[in-house]
Formats: sequence, structure tokens, C-alpha cells
Amino acid sequence: MTRYVDTLGTIILLELRQRIRSVAWIVLVIVVFVLVGVVTALLWASISAFGADAETAGVYSTIIFFVLLVGTLVTPAISGGAVNGDRDAGTLATTQVTLASAQQIVLGKFLAAWTVALTFLLASLPFLVFSVVAGGVRLDTLLASLGVLVLELGVVAAIGVGLSALMSRALFSVVTTYLTVAALSIGTLIAFALGGLAFQSEVRSTYIGVDYSVGGEVDPRTGYPEQVECLPPETYDYLVPRFDYVWGILAANPYIVLADAAPTTFDRNGNPQDLFGAISTGVRAAQLAPELEQVTDECAAALAGEAVPYDYETPQEIFERTVPSWFVGLLLHLLLAALALGGGIARTRTPAGRLPKGSRIA
Amino acid sequence: MTATPARASRGAAIEAHGVARSFGDVHAVRDASFTAHAGSVTALIGPNGSGKTTLLLVLATLLAPDAGTVRIAGADPVHDARAVRQRMGWMPDVLGSWATLSVRQTLETTGRLYELTSAQSRVRARELSELVGLEALADQPTRVLSRGQKQRLSLARALVHRPEVLLLDEPASGLDPAARVDLRVLVRRLAADGVAVLVSSHVLAELDEMADSAVYLDQGVTASAERIESSRAGARLWRIRAVDRAALSTALEQEGIASAGEDHLGTLVSVAGESDAAALLARLVTGGVAVSAFGPAVGDLEHTFLDLARGEKPEEAR
Repeated sequence: MTRYVDTLGTIILLELRQRIRSVAWIVLVIVVFVLVGVVTALLWASISAFGADAETAGVYSTIIFFVLLVGTLVTPAISGGAVNGDRDAGTLATTQVTLASAQQIVLGKFLAAWTVALTFLLASLPFLVFSVVAGGVRLDTLLASLGVLVLELGVVAAIGVGLSALMSRALFSVVTTYLTVAALSIGTLIAFALGGLAFQSEVRSTYIGVDYSVGGEVDPRTGYPEQVECLPPETYDYLVPRFDYVWGILAANPYIVLADAAPTTFDRNGNPQDLFGAISTGVRAAQLAPELEQVTDECAAALAGEAVPYDYETPQEIFERTVPSWFVGLLLHLLLAALALGGGIARTRTPAGRLPKGSRIA
Repeated sequence: MTATPARASRGAAIEAHGVARSFGDVHAVRDASFTAHAGSVTALIGPNGSGKTTLLLVLATLLAPDAGTVRIAGADPVHDARAVRQRMGWMPDVLGSWATLSVRQTLETTGRLYELTSAQSRVRARELSELVGLEALADQPTRVLSRGQKQRLSLARALVHRPEVLLLDEPASGLDPAARVDLRVLVRRLAADGVAVLVSSHVLAELDEMADSAVYLDQGVTASAERIESSRAGARLWRIRAVDRAALSTALEQEGIASAGEDHLGTLVSVAGESDAAALLARLVTGGVAVSAFGPAVGDLEHTFLDLARGEKPEEAR
């Protein structure tokens, strides 16, 4: 067991020595540091302009999303050539003939790529600490969002390393990793929108109004005529997209996983306080089926001497009667990562049996 | 001069029987059978594309053979790759090194991957960088090494875990003459210590000087021992250089030996076997011809190789 970990550690160290010392990596970390700094400063300035006293929960959640964006953009480049790049450089086979197993080689490369991806989180840490210290971030929000962020970066690293072992050319595996990230981040949104539009339902909306042409003077107190007379019901038919059928697609989106996983806090009016909450309630609202029979009976309200009931739900109410989906998405991502790594290990195993066309072992 | 092979008692260090491996439609190795013994250097000879590298990859536990059996130091590379890897060192024909690591770090890391402790790896790295003459470059990143230096690093990497079986794929390509001599001396020394060395190369003259025996591979098939024997015994060209060229040709005419051609180094004649050659030399010298050089026109391996290749051709044509 210790021997296994020892060799795994050697592979990780070897990978890190090769990647972290590169100038490109140092430049990238500096760029991320500067970018996150600029974003933090801008957010801080804009919040101060609104006069809110230190609503830093919003700043914190935005920085976390920004780090996820940068992480998922950079990690494929780090991990997507880990195995086939070594094969091209002629250093894979010389590692395979040592006592390091395919599992140790692929897992070591994955852990190293993950570590490198996390250095980008580390580069933005000063600003995260700043937004936490400035107040307004709850501990559970902090832990959940950081936890999911770290896992999601690991998922991208795993997919990249796995694909680099499965595909023979580094260029293709890097691009495929990017496409996978894009499919999850943007593709799910497109699929959600198109899916919702594809399944449309007809809504019948009935409106029973008050006839203002009869019944005498309008009472300035209630806004209704003295004698309320109802108009005949008017019905309108129109189509609405059925997002409630396809909301599950959004569960696979890493940004939504992150938002949904972080505990959401609401203000007095039932509005979410940070970006996590805003996204999460927006997505949760998609779970609700539209009312296909809507009746607005203004006349009945007038007869009862009341105003038309204004019964829109607050985001908090929607949030509370819908279900969280982040663990489904996260589980799906972890499954993808495990599949990629498992496939990568199988392909890296030697002595190699069948080789894909055009690839060579050394 | 040859030291008693320490591990020779184990018998054949490399045994291959009926090994075949194809890549799709390309049959790289079709039927390779040979044995190589501890304490000896075996040359693996064949033209480009004859399957040498593929055969070495099978022996090095990297490729699974489609058919046939292999034993390296008694272990099966397919079913017990780990046991083979503990005892086998492989130097690939592709030059690859971890570009940002220094020579020392490369050797230490390789040692760690062979499950040596950090302390053992450090000691071994120092020993090996001296052995292959890279101690002055020990702290340089490997990307600054020249081709020949990378070649030597690759050899050192294959020796980290003191293997009993050493597989060298084109070890001399890119080496300058002095480094080639060093390589030859090192390989002979390893063999004297009981290591079974299999060296592939197409520079046959070089193998002639270091190999005890040879395996001929052509189009994925190893030549049988009988065929090698018969081509060895057959007539071959000898080169004679005399101070007076005219005197030599007159003497050869008197002997009834036709000249097989002349080059800038001397006259070529076809002679069957060593004893005939010795007798011819004796007659020429007693006949008064001032012979300054007398020897086989091509090395043993090259002669056999070319003869075998000629033997193949008519069969292939059909």
C-alpha cells in the first residue's frame, strides 16, 4: 500500500515538476490573479455605488463563479495532453516499463492536473478571503461553494486526463475536453431552452371583468362602479414553453450545480441575497408546471369588495416548494470523470493488445 | 578475459518462441524464435522495417504478442509484466526525456519508479551519471542535451534497477566514434557481469565488435540456425591489398582465382571458408607477393545478413 502511494507520489511530483515550472503556467497564474483582482474591485465599487452596506455575499459568489469559469477554461489545456503528449515526447513508454502501473500513471497525472487547476483557485484566494473578511458570507455557503468548485475542477481534470489517454492525438483530446466542458456549461442551457420550446402547451386564460359602462359613478375608494355588473367571460388561448419537462437538463450544468449546492439566503422580501441564490431560484422556478387553466375573476373580487388578489410567489416561496438538483448533477459529473479515468487506465495498460489505428506504443 | 557469468546458471535469459504481432494489416513480426543467454551480447539484426523494434516492444512488456510465448528471466511478460520489469531494462529507439528535469532528477525519478528508496535512487543516479559520462551535466535540464548525450542518459535510465536482461534498441545511433567505443566497452562489461544484452542495430560493423551471437530478423521472421550456419560456411569475399597490384593479379591468375572486383582498398576475391583463405595467403606470400592487408571484405554479421537477404528474395518473388 505504501509502495503504491509512493510510486503515485513520484508520478504526481514528476508531473508537477514538468508543468509548474513552465513559464506559461506562471504567466497564467498571474493573469488569473490580476483578472480576479479587477473583477473584485469592480464589484466592490458597483456595490458601494448602490449604497448597500457591504453586501459582500454577492461579491463572493461572483468571484467563485469567475474562478470556475477560468478553471474550466484552463484545466483542459493542462490535462488534455497529459498522456498522449507524453507518448509524443517519447516519455510514456519509458514510464510504462518501470514498476509504475497504468493506474498509477493515469491517476498520478490526474491528481497533478487537479493540483495545477487548484493553483488558480489559490491565486484568487486573497480576493475570496477579502470578501469573506468583509463580512456577509455564511460559513455553510463558503464550505459548500468551495467544496463544489474544487470537485468540479477535479472533474474537468479527470475528463482531460482520461481523454488524453483514450485519444492518440493531444490536439484532439484537448479540443474534446473543451467541447465536453462547453456542452455541460453552454450546451445544457441551449438544450434547456430548445427543449422547453419544443414541448409547448396551450394555456386557456379566462378573464371576467367589471362592466364600467353601467352601474353608475366609480367609487374613488374601491375603484369600482357603485353597482358592479360583470362582463361576459373572455378567454384567450396561447402557448407556453414547458420548461418543467426539461429542467433536469440544467442539473448537469456545473454553474447551476455550484449555485444550487450553496445554501441560499433570502432577504426580508424573500429575494435571494447572492448570485448563487438568484441562479438557483431561477432554475428551481423552471420545475413548476404552468397553470393551463387560468381564471382571473376581477368581477368576483369587486363583488366581494376586495382588490384583485395579487398572488405572485416570492422567490423564497418558489425555492421552498421545489427540489434541489445539485447532487444529481454533481453525481453525473463524478460519474463522467470516473468513466474517463477508467477508460484511460484501460487504454494505458501494457502489454497493449489492440492499438487504435495510427497510434503507436512508443 | 571473459569473466564467468554470475547468473548464467539460470539458462536462457530471453526465450522467444513463435512470436507474432501485427497492427491491423501490417504483420510487423510474423514468426520470431530465438534465445539469448545471460552473460552474452546478442545482436538483433534486420533491415529497416523488419520488425526489430516491435519485437523489442514485445520483449519489453509493452506490446502483447498475438501468438507465441516469451520468457524474460523466467517470467512471462504478458501475465507477469511486473516480474519482468523488475529484471529487465529497456532503452527505446525514440529519444525522449522529461525536458524540464535535470539529468540527476531524471535518474532519481526513474529509480523511485523502480521502487528504490530516495537514498538508493540518489546513490544510483550519481553512479550512473558517472558511468555514462554525464556527471558534468548532472544539473542541466535534459532539454539542453545533445542527441548523443540523450542517448547516454537513456542507457543510464535503463540500468537504474540493475537489470538482468538489457534490451537496447539502436543504442549507438547519434553517438560519436569515441562514445561508440565507450558504449561497446560498457556493454561488454555488463555482459561480463552476467547481464543478458540484446542489441538491435543496422550498423553491422559495430555489432560485429560487441556481439557474441546474432539473431537475424527479416520481414518479421527470424532466420533458423541451420540457414545461418550454411550462409556462414558459404564462399565470401576477401580483400587483398598488395604493394604491387600487378604482381598480385598475376599471382591470382596463376592460382586460377578470378578477381571479383577491385576497389580503392584492394582486390576482392571469393574464398570459401577461413582455412582456404589462410592457405591462399600463405601461397601468395611464399610466391613473393608483398601483401599488406588480407581480410574479409565485410564483417561476419553483414556477410551472413546479406547472404540471408539474397536467399529470401527469389522466394518472395514467387
